[in-house]
Amino acid sequence: MANLKDIRDRIKSVTSIQKVTKAMKMVAAAKMRRAQEHMEEARPYANRLSTVINHLLPDVDRDMLELLDVREVNRVGYVVVTSDRGMAGSFNTNVLKTAQNEIDTIGKENVDVFCIGKKARDHFKRRGYTIIENHTEFWNELSYSHAIKIGEGVISHFTNHHVDEIHVVYNEFVNVARQYIQSEILLPLTFEEENGQYLGRLYEPNREEIVRSLIPRHLNIQMWKYLLESYASEQAARMLAMENATENAQDMIKELTLEFNKARQAAITTEMLEIVSGAEALQN
Amino acid sequence: MLMNSFQLEIVTPTKISDEGQVDYVRCPGLDGSFGIMSNHREAIFALDVGEIKVTQNGKDHYLATSGGFAEVTKEKVELLLETYERADEIDAARAEEALKRAQERKTAKEIDTARNDISLLRAINRLNVSER
Repeated sequence: MANLKDIRDRIKSVTSIQKVTKAMKMVAAAKMRRAQEHMEEARPYANRLSTVINHLLPDVDRDMLELLDVREVNRVGYVVVTSDRGMAGSFNTNVLKTAQNEIDTIGKENVDVFCIGKKARDHFKRRGYTIIENHTEFWNELSYSHAIKIGEGVISHFTNHHVDEIHVVYNEFVNVARQYIQSEILLPLTFEEENGQYLGRLYEPNREEIVRSLIPRHLNIQMWKYLLESYASEQAARMLAMENATENAQDMIKELTLEFNKARQAAITTEMLEIVSGAEALQN
Repeated sequence: MLMNSFQLEIVTPTKISDEGQVDYVRCPGLDGSFGIMSNHREAIFALDVGEIKVTQNGKDHYLATSGGFAEVTKEKVELLLETYERADEIDAARAEEALKRAQERKTAKEIDTARNDISLLRAINRLNVSER
């Protein structure tokens, strides 16, 4: 049986680990709420933008819009959204596994990868995939300008005909306990066309120019959505992982305390035995 | 003469800001600036990178924007902007830096010129507006 001092030290260290995991859980919860708020805030803008595009699109010659250009697919771009830090359960593992499976089905040599987050960069770099851009260490000060920056890189890669399709693999936030891995085609963009309502208005400079200038913005807001979904999912996953860690630590403390008490009692018993047998020896 | 005022809202991906009643808005359209006063016909305008001037209670305010669109309805005017900054909020030093970076990239070859020109334009615009 381990001696008393060892057990006491272990209890101490597990208790301090528990404090850390508890704090991390709280931080993750706060960050997750913030990401959810951002998602709410982005909705009015995103909805208005796609309403206008949907209404104007029927009047526009689609061949003129290069981001809607459906081409024969020879090369594919993959945007893989992960986090910079681990300690979030299977959050990164799942998204990387899905992305890698899809890429390997197409053939690694036909795919260009855009890595969002350190985990994606490390994963694909180590395995020798073609990486076009890395975006890392921005999650803590996540802002819309990051979405624009990533969006611009992806758009130009597509419009320069380096790739014929852009896919995005990310974690979709369903609720705190649930995140789905989503794989979507981002480019060429698809829209549901509607008509009516906006008739009889003035359009400056003209419908086509408006749609042309709004489509890249629509793509940026899409990118913003992916980032927020992933960020919220990451924090939710971390929250859950830390919750489990805290519980495990609690169990461990309980077991160790039990062990400690047993050891303490054993020590007392031994001591008493020694005293008694010592006393007996003297009497004899 | 007192101008008729109208309701102005600015919507961005990160917030909705109610600007209240304003007298006049001047926006950077794709082919030149234009002004909106009250009772404007219902319309949708595409906006370019540039400066927005808002006149409220006889005072002029300036905003730098990276573009978006303006929707004019009977009730109000909404500016849907990807990003915007008020003149006094612009970090001129940062804009200067961005400008320098973009100019350096312009001299270096094998870069995406279209993408760089946009950053250049945005940096120049922010600097101009910050001097207002």
